[in-house]
Amino acid sequence: MSLLEVDAINTYYGEAHALFDVSMRVEPHEVVALLGRNGAGKTTTFKTMMGVMAPKSGTIRFNGMPIQGLPPYKIARLGLQLVPEERRIIGGLTVEENLILAGLSAPTPWKPERVYEIFPRLGERHRSRGRELSGGEQQMLTIARALVREPRLILLDEPFEGLAPLIVQDLLRICRDLAAAGRTIVIVEQNVQAALSLAQRCYILNNGHMVYEGTPAELRADPDFMRRHLGI
Amino acid sequence: MSAAPSRIGARGVAWWPVLGMAAFLAAFPYVIPYLGGSLDTANRILDWGLFGLGFDLLFGFTGLLSFGQAAFFGVGGFVASYLLVAPVTGNALLALLVGTVLAAAVGVFVGYLSLRRAGIYFAMLTLAFGEMFYFLDISPLAQWTGGENGLAGVPAPQFGFGFGATSPFGVYWFIAILFFFGFWFALRLIRSPFGAVLRAIRDNGERAAAVGHDVPKYKLTVFVIAAAYGGLAGGLLGLLQGYMPPDAFYLETSGQLVVQTIIGGAGTLVGPLVGAAVWLDLYTVLQNIAGIGALWKMILGVIFVLLVTTFRRGLCGVVVLLWWRATTSSPPAGSEAEAPPPSDLIPPPAEPVIRVSRPITGSVVLATRNLSKRYGGLAAVDDVSFELREGEVRAVIGPNGAGKSTFFNMLASVIPPSAGTIEFKGANITDLGTIRVCQLGIAKSFQINQIFRSLTVRENLRVPAIARTYGKFHPSMLKTVGHDAAVNVRIDEAAAAVQLTDRLDTPAAALAYGEKRRLEVGLALATEPQVLLLDEPTAGMSPAERADTVRLLKRIGAGMTIVIVEHDMDVVFGLADRITVLFNGRKIAEGTPEAIQANPDVRAAYLGSQAAHEPA
Amino acid sequence: MGLTVIFGALGVVNFAHGALYAVGAYAGFVTYEYTDSFVAAMAAGAIFVLIVGIVIERGLIRLYYQRPPEDQILVTFGIGIVLVEGLRAIFGGLNRNLPAPSWAASIVNLHVTLYPIYRIDVLVIVAVVLALLYVVLYRTRLGLIVRAGIEDQLMVNILGINVTRTFLTVFGLGAMAAGFAGVINAPIVTVSPDMGADVLVQSFVVIVIGGVGSFWGAVVGGLIAGEILSLAAMIDPAYSDVMLFAAMAVVLILRPQGLFGVQGRQ
Repeated sequence: MSLLEVDAINTYYGEAHALFDVSMRVEPHEVVALLGRNGAGKTTTFKTMMGVMAPKSGTIRFNGMPIQGLPPYKIARLGLQLVPEERRIIGGLTVEENLILAGLSAPTPWKPERVYEIFPRLGERHRSRGRELSGGEQQMLTIARALVREPRLILLDEPFEGLAPLIVQDLLRICRDLAAAGRTIVIVEQNVQAALSLAQRCYILNNGHMVYEGTPAELRADPDFMRRHLGI
Repeated sequence: MSAAPSRIGARGVAWWPVLGMAAFLAAFPYVIPYLGGSLDTANRILDWGLFGLGFDLLFGFTGLLSFGQAAFFGVGGFVASYLLVAPVTGNALLALLVGTVLAAAVGVFVGYLSLRRAGIYFAMLTLAFGEMFYFLDISPLAQWTGGENGLAGVPAPQFGFGFGATSPFGVYWFIAILFFFGFWFALRLIRSPFGAVLRAIRDNGERAAAVGHDVPKYKLTVFVIAAAYGGLAGGLLGLLQGYMPPDAFYLETSGQLVVQTIIGGAGTLVGPLVGAAVWLDLYTVLQNIAGIGALWKMILGVIFVLLVTTFRRGLCGVVVLLWWRATTSSPPAGSEAEAPPPSDLIPPPAEPVIRVSRPITGSVVLATRNLSKRYGGLAAVDDVSFELREGEVRAVIGPNGAGKSTFFNMLASVIPPSAGTIEFKGANITDLGTIRVCQLGIAKSFQINQIFRSLTVRENLRVPAIARTYGKFHPSMLKTVGHDAAVNVRIDEAAAAVQLTDRLDTPAAALAYGEKRRLEVGLALATEPQVLLLDEPTAGMSPAERADTVRLLKRIGAGMTIVIVEHDMDVVFGLADRITVLFNGRKIAEGTPEAIQANPDVRAAYLGSQAAHEPA
Repeated sequence: MGLTVIFGALGVVNFAHGALYAVGAYAGFVTYEYTDSFVAAMAAGAIFVLIVGIVIERGLIRLYYQRPPEDQILVTFGIGIVLVEGLRAIFGGLNRNLPAPSWAASIVNLHVTLYPIYRIDVLVIVAVVLALLYVVLYRTRLGLIVRAGIEDQLMVNILGINVTRTFLTVFGLGAMAAGFAGVINAPIVTVSPDMGADVLVQSFVVIVIGGVGSFWGAVVGGLIAGEILSLAAMIDPAYSDVMLFAAMAVVLILRPQGLFGVQGRQ
């Protein structure tokens, strides 16, 4: 049984049709890249999985259980965790408070100290408020906030966006460690090469339609296809 | 295209509310006894109805919920009463006039301060300032106002030259005539260009400002008008009772006005009158029923809460809905099912069509010099210089987070830059603000539809057309906007340009998504901009609608200067003469579509740079 | 006066709070009649209004979270009318008196002025409640969720926390504070159905001066407002209330978002 099975979901923003019969699956312990141009519907797919948006039709099964239409907090308690693109650090809370908040409803939350071992930078700044952090630190905190909950599946939405190359390398290393430790991850990223270097399988969305499913190697072998659906 | 005659005028609808009101006022004193009221009740209902006309203009038509109207009611009342009691003058009309003018002056003061905040804080502030006038009345000014005792002995109305209204019927007719003029003026006002702008502000104030209206000034003006109505009604209260009570300044007075207007139906002009009738009649009738007499206000409170929760448009709204159900098979505006999209759509091209770029020779219209925007330590836009020539269609592209929207919003003066300048035809327009920038000729259409949902397509397009015809503020309150040829021509042209001519009288909320998107562009177009800024015009559209929109924009783009931000490369390459590429806030490339396609930096930016995928 | 700070610090004041304050005072009054215990009256006022607040939130306010702010204002205002008129129907419009507790009924000589001990006790109680509120907001799980929820409900939801329940808690706490304030203020002012109007207005003034949703903003706003009231009262009592509004006007002109408010938050 797949850990996550998305079957023919259709999602709308008001009347704007954003996802057209999108299907995908995620197996335990694999890293999947979800690619596509800006506005292709990647973030919408994540929001629909997480319960932030309800699909008009289609089913989403997590661990065999249908979750479409559930509120986000129920889906989070089942072990699915979105790391949103806009980071959404709670700016008024300190780093440590952000981590504690994230762990409140988790069955066995990590202690902040365990986070600081992986992200020493966060340890140094554990008393700083969220809004005082740099972009890279905020991004670390959003990922850490998800890890604290020990989720069965992490949805990473553009974790490298707007960050300097050095920090991207740092985060990339962390993601690789997470993958090596057997975590299940779906990653959405504009930085296609970075995403493909992490993933075992990938999907491509175009204008709300799922147009590709395969391995990174297969995709790299078809530069024309890549250009049409990802680049310019 | 010639100006179509106003449909409202042609159908003769414009006059029936006025005639109907005149007939009602003539019959009212003879009907009121059957409703359990007296002539005095009728006088009070009209007085509160007059008070409510101003409040309805403020809340029902402009969306400003004030809890401080008592201040104006009290000021107008005590000034007029004091003038007559002192007596400074024996002429009731003069006393009312002075009271009204002073109430309006107080309105300028309270409005200026309260309008600095919006929503719940505006309501809190009006309430607080209303209370301030209560305290002024009972204590520091008590030697003139009588403090807690009020002013007794207000004489029956005398107008000089031996005319007066001393009999009970005389007082009624006096109030009825003033109410009639108040109603007539309010009706003219909502049908004037001024009123059209007020309704636009109610629906979406930011958009009204974005098409070039000085929204704060409009709000203050309507606030002052509402204050004047309050002052006049307050003065009449003193005259009809022969006594001016300090209750006029109470918080309950403001509250009663709000409750009456909501119960009757806000945004209808007659709603406050109906609400006043319900309030005062219920009071009179319930008082006579043993056991529940003391409960009358609680019953009203329950009705009020139920109406707000389930039927926000009040009793008049219920009547309108029932009337609609009875006379037509389709429900009124807003609840209509989505109309099908137009059928003239063509399938999208399978591959991007690269447009042969034309030479751009016009002079520079819009330019930025070293423009930057920083948020904290992060530079969203970093030192971008850019020149746009007349007649050019320019696309701004870049991956998410590249700074496109920030750049765009600085061009439209939505956000101020941290450094650098923006020039329009050689003049510095940095920090000018959306209203003035739009008036100069730069209009923006939004990524997320910002249309006036409760207005029809025609009324929507009227809002920018008024801004272009009359400038950023024009207190033209007696002109019928539907008869304005200059405005109508602009509406028709914009509607034709975005292919909505046959949908002109459809409420915007009932348009299909693609049509709403076109209306969004039409709103910017109707300001007749010299530079049109389009923020993702095809966002959320189906492939077929996108193709249709590209054709539409191509036609609009001929002879127009356009900057477009768009994710869909088919759209970009189908439209743009030149392309500017932003990445991490910086401009990394600029040139013709062919050149941009071949640029290795651009490809790297989109596909991910080498540095990022090398193992650490 | 200091009581208004509590509303401000919670950041939840609405147009029904004046009425809830009066309901609290009456609940305390009735309890006192039966038990002769001021402590029981305080507890009863707080708990009864907490229950009323929960019922209102579940029954009505919940339907309004997705509606425009004007509708929320209207419904809370309407609830206020129903509550006040309900009190009037049950207890009549006459003023009632709740005596100050015996342990605080004496007068203290402050050398400059004679001061009823109870007023000093109220100050102490307000300080204690504020300290308690501070502890709840900044030292507990619930406070963490509330502070996060005020800032970003969706993210808190995504982190597995049921925010609708948090809203209920915040609304309930606000109501409870109003009820409690009603009881402890009852010995100073007279108990009447309309007693909440002044407190409501003063709360608004404190919020506008201090800035919204800021704990210290509310405290400072409350202190400033209190100072103005007492200073102006010493000079000319007739102008004390008016001075308060003048101060509000000055703040609005110079710093529309309030002294501690964050720019852009409406």
